[in-house]
Amino acid sequence: MKQSAGNRTAVTGAGTMGGGIAETLAKAGYPVVLYDIDKEALKRGIDAIQTRLDRRVKKGKMTATDAEELMGKIMPVTDRERLADVQLIIEAALERLDVKQELFAYLDDLTDQETILATNTSSLSVTEIASAATQHPERVLGLHFFNPAPVMPLVEVVSGVQTDPSVLDQAVAWMHDLGKSPVRVKDTPGFVVNRVARPFHNEAYRLVGDRVATKEQVDRVLRSAGFPMGPFELQDMIGIDINFAATTSVYDGMFQEPRFRPHPGQRAMVDSGAIGRKAGRGHYSYER
Amino acid sequence: MSGKILLVGDGTLADHMQRYLTEQRMTVIPEDGGKEVEEIQAVVDVISGPAETKREHLIDVEARLPASVPIYSSTLHVCATRIASWLQEPGRLLGFSPLFPAEMEVQEVSRPLQAESDASWEEHLTFWTELGKKVEQVGGEPGLVFPRTFALLVNEAAFALQEGVASPEDIDLAMKKGTRFPHGPLEWADEIGIDEVLWILKGLFEELGEDRYRPASLLRRMVYAGYTGQRAGRGFYSYSKAAKKEISRV
Repeated sequence: MKQSAGNRTAVTGAGTMGGGIAETLAKAGYPVVLYDIDKEALKRGIDAIQTRLDRRVKKGKMTATDAEELMGKIMPVTDRERLADVQLIIEAALERLDVKQELFAYLDDLTDQETILATNTSSLSVTEIASAATQHPERVLGLHFFNPAPVMPLVEVVSGVQTDPSVLDQAVAWMHDLGKSPVRVKDTPGFVVNRVARPFHNEAYRLVGDRVATKEQVDRVLRSAGFPMGPFELQDMIGIDINFAATTSVYDGMFQEPRFRPHPGQRAMVDSGAIGRKAGRGHYSYER
Repeated sequence: MSGKILLVGDGTLADHMQRYLTEQRMTVIPEDGGKEVEEIQAVVDVISGPAETKREHLIDVEARLPASVPIYSSTLHVCATRIASWLQEPGRLLGFSPLFPAEMEVQEVSRPLQAESDASWEEHLTFWTELGKKVEQVGGEPGLVFPRTFALLVNEAAFALQEGVASPEDIDLAMKKGTRFPHGPLEWADEIGIDEVLWILKGLFEELGEDRYRPASLLRRMVYAGYTGQRAGRGFYSYSKAAKKEISRV
């Protein structure tokens, strides 16, 4: 089904990514069913969107009427039968294969086969999610949004082995309509961004581990080369644990290709609990 | 700051360095500058390519100049200690990164093991601080910090491209919009030269002996074909005088 303004959409999972994606869809004018099995999580997700909108209204970046209209487009539900009768479903559930497969099997039965089913996975195989759990894997693809979803322009439109090319074309058109910059990517470990950014982080640990440079030096040099943040300060912001998970996931996905081998220095940071700003300390120390 | 610099090497990096030093009001003398080698303040060498060629050039240059003239040599793919070992006066050598001299406020340098005199080392550094650079002295491996990181980013993007993961444009766009890289790795490589990127990788592979530095075969094939980037008119993208860059199907 072609994307058009009257189309209804749905997001499953009201966490950080799910809430952000729902906000993005609603902002572009699409009615969004926001589903979460957990009533409390759903409320937190809705509240988080409301808080973001309130902040923008306060700053004069949005009118109160527009914010109200946007919120009105989001329908929170805890009953997943309500996901029937929409044209696009973006799954942002837990990053666990069994959870996603169970959900896609359910959605495959529930929805019209024209409905596009997308997963926002960053580290699992789109092909595996699609094929193990669906009678119509050709309508399943990856739509990898970046955090925060309402702000970050990039969306990786990921083609599983069985994805129908016309489904990809429709998804690309949807993303343009949301004001995003879609790129077409084949389903491979880390897709493009997480994979190509690996050396930025991994080699930084190597440079420091081999005493070629200090963390501060690596950050200063790479900032001077034009990167907005050096790898260590960036990891402190992202969370060193999150970054480490991305590294190990690409490494395992590539069957231990040596280029992607994680550095023990990063694991030591995670083990010690110094995982970045959220912990008050990481590569650098942060005053609480 | 003014002074005479003997510039060794040609190609994109020499062009960048020549432009930068000239903007800094230095007089740049080409390597074959004959008698003008008198009163040279320093040698700036940006040669990549086979180590043997670089060695021959530096031996020749050293023989033409008094021992007091320092030699600043690119350590993109050969470590400073190895370059110093080719010289009669190894203490006159400082290794540096020749990438983006006009754009980067930070100047990475590395000190060869043989540069034992602190006094003359401090003097070497003065040259760069007087150019307004913030000097970062880093360890002696090839590629220092930025060139090494840059080459590995390009290499991974080239692997992704040769595996058909995405188009060159989409790879570049993804890295700029998805993680705020200042340039896409492929367009960035075209600016510096695919051959330079390949030399950095080969240098790391040779010195450190690890598979993680193995160059993507696409990079080798592009260099064989002469598709070395902007200067050649063709790299990951095609460049014509009139048109904007276009995708080059490699």
